[in-house]
Amino acid sequence: MRRRVLLGSLPAAAAYSVLSPLALPRAARAQAATKTTVGLLRLASSAPVFIAQEKGYFREAGLDVELKIFTAAAQVPNAVVSGDAEFGVTGLTAGFYNLSGRGGPVIIAAQSRDEKGFQLSAIMATRAAYDAGLRSAADLRGKRIANTTAGSTFHYMIGRLAQAKNFPLSSVTLVNLQTLPNMASAFKGGQVDAMIVPATVARPIEAEGAGRIIGWVGDEAPWQLGALFTAPRMIAEKRPTVERFVRAYVRACGEYHAAFNQRDAAGNATKGPGYDALLGIVAKAMQQPPERVAGSLAYIDPQGRLDVGDVHNQVRLWQSLGLVAANVNPASTIDLGFVQGHFNLPR
Amino acid sequence: MAEPPRGERAVPFRGHGFVLARRRFAAPLFFFGMIALWQVACDRGWISPLFLPSPYAVLLAFRELIEAGTLARHLGESLFRMGLGWLFGTIAGLFVGFLMGIFSLSRAIGQPVVSALFPIPKIALLPLLILWLGIGEASKVTTIVLGVFFPTAIATYSAIDNVPRNLIRMAQSFGLPWNAVLRKIVLPGALPGILAGFRISVSIALLLLTAAEMVGAEYGIGAFILTAGNLMLTDQLLAGVVMLSALGLGFGTLLARLERWLLRWR
Amino acid sequence: MELAAEGITHRYGGLTALDAVSLTVREGEILALIGPSGCGKSTLLGILGGILAPSEGRVLLRGEPPAGCLNPLTYIFQDFALLPWRTVAGNVALPLEHHRLARAEREALVANALARTGLSDFSDAYPKQLSGGMRQRVGIARALAVRPAILLMDEPLSALDAQTRDLLMEDFLALWLRERVTAVYVTHNLAEALRLADRVAVLSRRPGRLREIVTIPLPQDRRAGPEAAAEMARLHDRLWQLIRSEAEAAEREILAPGALHG
Repeated sequence: MRRRVLLGSLPAAAAYSVLSPLALPRAARAQAATKTTVGLLRLASSAPVFIAQEKGYFREAGLDVELKIFTAAAQVPNAVVSGDAEFGVTGLTAGFYNLSGRGGPVIIAAQSRDEKGFQLSAIMATRAAYDAGLRSAADLRGKRIANTTAGSTFHYMIGRLAQAKNFPLSSVTLVNLQTLPNMASAFKGGQVDAMIVPATVARPIEAEGAGRIIGWVGDEAPWQLGALFTAPRMIAEKRPTVERFVRAYVRACGEYHAAFNQRDAAGNATKGPGYDALLGIVAKAMQQPPERVAGSLAYIDPQGRLDVGDVHNQVRLWQSLGLVAANVNPASTIDLGFVQGHFNLPR
Repeated sequence: MAEPPRGERAVPFRGHGFVLARRRFAAPLFFFGMIALWQVACDRGWISPLFLPSPYAVLLAFRELIEAGTLARHLGESLFRMGLGWLFGTIAGLFVGFLMGIFSLSRAIGQPVVSALFPIPKIALLPLLILWLGIGEASKVTTIVLGVFFPTAIATYSAIDNVPRNLIRMAQSFGLPWNAVLRKIVLPGALPGILAGFRISVSIALLLLTAAEMVGAEYGIGAFILTAGNLMLTDQLLAGVVMLSALGLGFGTLLARLERWLLRWR
Repeated sequence: MELAAEGITHRYGGLTALDAVSLTVREGEILALIGPSGCGKSTLLGILGGILAPSEGRVLLRGEPPAGCLNPLTYIFQDFALLPWRTVAGNVALPLEHHRLARAEREALVANALARTGLSDFSDAYPKQLSGGMRQRVGIARALAVRPAILLMDEPLSALDAQTRDLLMEDFLALWLRERVTAVYVTHNLAEALRLADRVAVLSRRPGRLREIVTIPLPQDRRAGPEAAAEMARLHDRLWQLIRSEAEAAEREILAPGALHG
């Protein structure tokens, strides 16, 4: 507390570092650390970055990481392309692959994914649609479904469900509404039959009685929602920095998984080691009350491993819809060399 | 020959500049120069296609649109929404603006209401508009109506304020009835200000097209730009932007013509 | 027709512009109203024509207007008050349009008014194409078109340059000598008053009170000759004495807000 006060003003801080011999080694260490930046959203899926920063894993890996907070997922890969951020973590969209295909960001590790038994992305039916028989993902055939934008994660989930439930994606009518609030409005007003939204959005709507959660994407069609990515020139020119960043990030993923993704014998969520402390860190970084954050904690692979087959499937689905250029090679959007044990690799 | 008096010299000319002359070819030349420079920069690799597609790539995106036959559909749906929204917004704005310009009571009530509602970003109202009007054409057109209404109302009552009072006194001194004063003095006197307001409201309608087409639009220039932006297809994005600029330029020229014709007495 | 003001008092806020002014405009005369600027001349004219409501007092009309009169009390304005979006003919037609007149009759009235003011060749011109003097002719033509009983002229020449003013004054005088329309002529120009008026009403500076009404015994068409010079000079001196001190005092006054009305 005393040090805080001393460091509170700039001249005082300067005086402190000049006069105190104790400050010298500290300053020297800070200088030795490699400066880097990571772009991300203030969402629970960014939790491994928050944890690695707060618990000093980046610092221990010799990195001085600056967190650049963005407000929309599309801004993060853009920031990596423009050089405003050296790394990015966010959801994967058609826009991401278009950028990647033109020499933009490359995926190096996993972020969150929809996984069996984890309630992350909810499939919702309006009351009217539910009463008319929309009770499961298979019933989405031929329905009007709200979406944010063409090529969004929500769009992919609908496509993924169509694949899993064997109905043509062209049979559903997608209504693009740009934002989640717009989607919620159209849903409540009965303008659409169904929507896929994060659990944090779905639960209050269900509680209001405007609709019912009829399933979870994780149970129906697991997929790789988000990823950690960087620019190709980072891999070419600063490979050690990338390796150290991934190491610290994966370390935090493991801790996150151990604390938040535990199930007891009956399959119910249970608190793992360090649950409360980590929740505190994530909630503080998200500037949200811990109770609310607890309900939005996604599944994150403990070793940062990617569902490579699903990434390939994403690119191919977008290409089949004409939303990603046909010449984008799915394999070239991922660099498998930073994390061991990626799974579901296409043969 | 007489010697010139000592110290005789020409008065130096000091009146350079600060006079705007007409330069007919300056704007097109500048335009073409910029586009040529942009193309060269892309060809030489000074600009990565990741950041900015070349003008040629934008042209190709246009060709793709034309070949797919969707250009006319995008344009048609956008023009329909814009036209309808602008028309209703203008009619309502003129009506309310006239009431506020003529009756003290309407002014007293209307002014704070207009001042309070004008600056609300119409995009922020989209979730509400969806709830009230659904996701069909009604909510899209209403977005534009709202955007057009306020500046038209403000332009109209300001224009009426600027009608010379002496002309109204003159008309009254000749015993012109109230509605004749309105029709023959106030309306034509306010016309320049109202037409200036039209220029602004047309720009706003274009600006709001993208916002309006955020809501469940499959076709339309705004929807096209939004999709291209979300997919990071920068060549298509710029093709859409060029379409909007062309529309802006077209409407601007059209209004300038209308103004020149209606205000030929100026 | 006669016009009589009885005890006209007018206040702008707390400021008294006119104080108990009573006068009568007689049939067929030109009554000039002169006084220093800010004495309330234009205010009085506005009250006489019924476009300003006096704080106290009343204005009475006596007698019947001439046959065919459409607007008994008709103004001619200092700033012409022409509609810029109408042609000369359109401006002259404006006060006729709300009367029940046959189209041909209206056109004849317009053509007649334009002919009397020498504007026949300019009927399709817009005001911006005309000089100041021509614009005021349009103002006069518009006033004549409604066949007024009494003309109320508010410094009609003061927006014009000196040469134009003299020319137009002579033209107006010739017109008046032919038609003998009753007129009230507000001016701050002594020469104009002396040239045109049958009687000159002198107002004091604010609050405007009627100081005196001076009758000019010579008929208008005989005032310019050398034989009238002595008499005119005497009248000029007399009027000048009446308004000089007022003008000097007015000159030194600091204008209070709301006192800017003529």
